[in-house]
Amino acid sequence: MLTKRQNLMETIKGGNPDRFVNQYEFMDIILEAPMDLPLAPGPGTRVKNKWGITFDWPADQIGSFPMHDEEHKALKDILNWKESVKAPTVFYTDEEWAAAEAHANSVDRNDKFVTAFCAPGIFEMTHHLMSMEDALMALYEEPEAMKELIDYIVEYELAYAAEVVKHIHPDALFHHDDWGSQRSSFISPAMFDEFILPAYKKVYGYWKANGVELIVHHSDSYAANLVPEMIEMGIDIWQGVMTTNNVPELIKQYGGKITFMGDIDSGRVDFPGWTRERIYEDTKKACEECGKLYFIPCLSQGLNISSFPGVYEATSEIIDELSKEMF
Amino acid sequence: MTKIEEVKAKVEAGKSKLVPGLVLEALDAGNNPQDILDAMIESMGVVGEKFSSGEIFVPEMLIAAKAMSKGVDVLKPHLAGDGSSKLGTCVIGTVAGDLHDIGKNLVSLMIESAGFDMVDLGVDVPADTFVQAIKDNDNVKIVACSGLLTSTMPAMKEAVAAIKASGLTGFKVIVGGAPVTPEYAAEIGADGFAPDAGTAAVEAKELATA
Repeated sequence: MLTKRQNLMETIKGGNPDRFVNQYEFMDIILEAPMDLPLAPGPGTRVKNKWGITFDWPADQIGSFPMHDEEHKALKDILNWKESVKAPTVFYTDEEWAAAEAHANSVDRNDKFVTAFCAPGIFEMTHHLMSMEDALMALYEEPEAMKELIDYIVEYELAYAAEVVKHIHPDALFHHDDWGSQRSSFISPAMFDEFILPAYKKVYGYWKANGVELIVHHSDSYAANLVPEMIEMGIDIWQGVMTTNNVPELIKQYGGKITFMGDIDSGRVDFPGWTRERIYEDTKKACEECGKLYFIPCLSQGLNISSFPGVYEATSEIIDELSKEMF
Repeated sequence: MTKIEEVKAKVEAGKSKLVPGLVLEALDAGNNPQDILDAMIESMGVVGEKFSSGEIFVPEMLIAAKAMSKGVDVLKPHLAGDGSSKLGTCVIGTVAGDLHDIGKNLVSLMIESAGFDMVDLGVDVPADTFVQAIKDNDNVKIVACSGLLTSTMPAMKEAVAAIKASGLTGFKVIVGGAPVTPEYAAEIGADGFAPDAGTAAVEAKELATA
């Protein structure tokens, strides 16, 4: 039996996997690494992070949101970004790194990838700072200022990456940046090429030049029109790919250059009255239609969790069952 | 190209700095203000169609809506009557328990650009707030309920049920959002459904003028 890591490599290289890669099993994500999380810590909390972005998590909701009313918007005018946006330090004490280092040292790297985690992404950071509407319009109205802001965020990411590499020597990177809605990418491929692609070529290029073998990018959205760009920037696995992308067709077109991890939409199966039958139906369809290579069945959720208790674990059990049937 | 054609072209291209001046030039050239407004609405119809078909993306739609808004600001003092919309008022909101506002905001922009007056209730809107807004505002023709989460679909059902049970009349209810399907919309008693902002504007107009 192949290790989780070997099985992953067989899957993404077009070899001979002996089972489906089961969701996030190949990554041991070092979430203890000190970072400025883009979240309020739990229901009923509100925090202002070090970038000056306020996140609110109302008690009855399943996640936190950046606040963009006039009082809370961190960047009100893109032309003033240099005055308004100050990146936090990327330097943390050895004590702050200790838990992450201990976790990384405990991982059997033959079995799993020690995985660094980065969120929010570069595009997300622009709209967390400004609001989605302001950020998208600024791409047209003030493109030079937006490029400067993006460069500034890239410099921060590169500096943070250097620290992560130094402390935990990751084999993989799991990086968030949502690039679309369920039905379309937020911006056109041409605009993506101008603003986002160059930024990620630098960031992902740096990680790969510093020991990271595997770039896993999360975007739980439609982004089929951006797959050539994903390949160009060095993404090995697109996690969160939703069914609206027609994943079997993407595998036919791009398999061998990139692997697709998802095709089980969390929105369809992860809700208060979830059922094993619904998860089985969607997972079986995904596995049968997408096949054994260049595909990892997974919830579209951006971590190895679900919004409602039991859904992630049930999905994993079903994938194991399907592996026994199909391999 | 006539001045009105120039206004149309620049709204479609999202030239918000140019449109106000062009609207003034179109007025100076003797064009009827209502004709200029209709031309801009027509432009936004084209923008909506292009968005629905995937030809353009969210930024293009946003800057076109902004350009139209700047043009309308210049035009409003010249329009006959109180400047209120021919098509009536649209009450819009994201249903209770759901904080997603981006999709709702885009739909609001496009419905406004189609010629409605908008009353935006924001996010996490309880069912009775929709009902109260229909009572509080004149000439409500459309009520639009948005929801992004599977877990808030019951709240959407409750909102539509409360609106329908209120006894108030003279308007139609449309629903939309990622988990909403035409079948679900029909099942909960909505009058219309739209999969995206461009289609929402077309649907709202059709329902309001039916």
